[in-house]
Amino acid sequence: MTRSLDRPAAPSRLRRPPELAPNLDVSGLVDAHGGLLDRAIFTDTALYRQELRRVFAPSWLFLAHIDQFQKPGDFFTTYMGEDPVIVTMDRNRQVRAYLNSCRHRGARVCRADFGTTKNFTCTYHGWAYDLDGGLTSVPNRDGYPESFESRDWGLLEVPHIETYGGLVFGTWNPDPLPLRDELGDMAWYLDAMLDRDPEGTVVVGGVHKWVLEGNWKLAAEQFATDWYHVNMSHASALMVLSPADKRPREEIVHRTGRQYVSPQGHGAGFPVHPKNRFNAQSVHEWYDYAALRERLGDARVEGPLTDGHATVFPNFSYLPVIGSLRVWHPKGPDRMEVWAWTIVDKSMPPEIREAQRLYNLRTFGPSGVFEQDDGENWSEVQAISHGFITNGLPLNYQMGLGSEREDGRHPGLTSELYSDAAGRAFYARWKELMNTPAWHEKER
Amino acid sequence: MPQQTLGIRVASVTDIPPGEGIAIDKSITGTADNIALLRDEDDRIYALDDTCSHEDASLADGWVEGGYVECPLHASKFCLKTGEVQGLPATRDVCPHRIEVRDGAVYLFPNEAP
Repeated sequence: MTRSLDRPAAPSRLRRPPELAPNLDVSGLVDAHGGLLDRAIFTDTALYRQELRRVFAPSWLFLAHIDQFQKPGDFFTTYMGEDPVIVTMDRNRQVRAYLNSCRHRGARVCRADFGTTKNFTCTYHGWAYDLDGGLTSVPNRDGYPESFESRDWGLLEVPHIETYGGLVFGTWNPDPLPLRDELGDMAWYLDAMLDRDPEGTVVVGGVHKWVLEGNWKLAAEQFATDWYHVNMSHASALMVLSPADKRPREEIVHRTGRQYVSPQGHGAGFPVHPKNRFNAQSVHEWYDYAALRERLGDARVEGPLTDGHATVFPNFSYLPVIGSLRVWHPKGPDRMEVWAWTIVDKSMPPEIREAQRLYNLRTFGPSGVFEQDDGENWSEVQAISHGFITNGLPLNYQMGLGSEREDGRHPGLTSELYSDAAGRAFYARWKELMNTPAWHEKER
Repeated sequence: MPQQTLGIRVASVTDIPPGEGIAIDKSITGTADNIALLRDEDDRIYALDDTCSHEDASLADGWVEGGYVECPLHASKFCLKTGEVQGLPATRDVCPHRIEVRDGAVYLFPNEAP
């Protein structure tokens, strides 16, 4: 027996057979030019596993808001795809992220949603890690062979963390495009929410979390592209929010606007009108629209500043009018967890923050009158998608085919408010990533 | 070690945040281990050997609550007054030391029983 075989197996000596991760060519499942989708992309388990490897692992994923980290040891636990991660501020006040899985037997080393700590200790056998992810305590250390080095067994660190406008993103990709480049023109639309206040934004309260039946893409796609559903799905909510003695208003139903279509798969739709405003009355009165026009320009104040929806590919979405940020965490092909933050401008006084928080809760909180409608739709679509005949019928994404153009007012290509254009671009990007070997397939 | 009649001035009370601790280096205290000064929610201050009797962890980094300090690494508990171990995985006590607070300063009497 050779000497090397006496040593415990190091991770590098394991070889996973490639048959464990077979890749399917998805070219025939997405027809972005014709506006057709095969429903298998919402239901198939093999495709779902390929998504985790090729869509989530290489992409910039939203982790948290920078306001959640005030002092060393502050942490927040979340997911990147299905991978649990701890996001924390180290002693040098750098925000870093680690895979939340003990290197020993794999349990999470942090079981809390958020808090402040000095280290992360696994509750299974007590391996403990410091804020740098280093393994600092191994009970019964003497029981391990001489070749055991603590430095080999630190928490796996997310190699790249970048922020944009207070939003913290991370990626497992060792060689990613910078976040700003990946956002491209999307940054202009994001700024309409994040850069209203020179002081930036802060998080109100905690993070709402709820579980929905439905593939994560149904939600991400809708927030990228879909204003079409508003008047139908949200009819009752719109009536509830209208003055009691008024008829349904023509100008609410027939709004016109634009939809940003991104080659990176992002999307944003928004009505365009000179009198666009914030919904909560006191929030509307607090904002100085003239100052906002000066700061952000007329096109943003009359467009993506207020009503509208947006998705940063793949699974981060937001609603600028109420400062709702959300991640659609994938939990298998049929289920997602929605995690929702509420952000407000830092300069807002407490009573205005509270008004915005309440409006957010009432409309798009877990039991919000609009959120309920959306969740019902996604779960409805998913619930029947496994039927054999059902699953084989393609879905229609043809609204606004060929309508994408430079409109001279909004950066990038835009389409109509009512259009599937950003949805087609979302799935085109998804297809591109699904058919491209990711960094982890190229190594070794 | 000769008996210290006045003790060693090791810290100001305000150096220690309520519910937390600070470690005083053994080069100052002349003890075998560093000394953890621990301040409870009622602003009482206690001194214990700093190193957990289970693994290499600083009790000064621990959580001070309900009459105990909880080790930051594996959550062993020790009585603030006596150093007696109150919870696994540690099984051995840590040594307590007498302190006095005079004019906002903490004076340590190394190796004297509290």
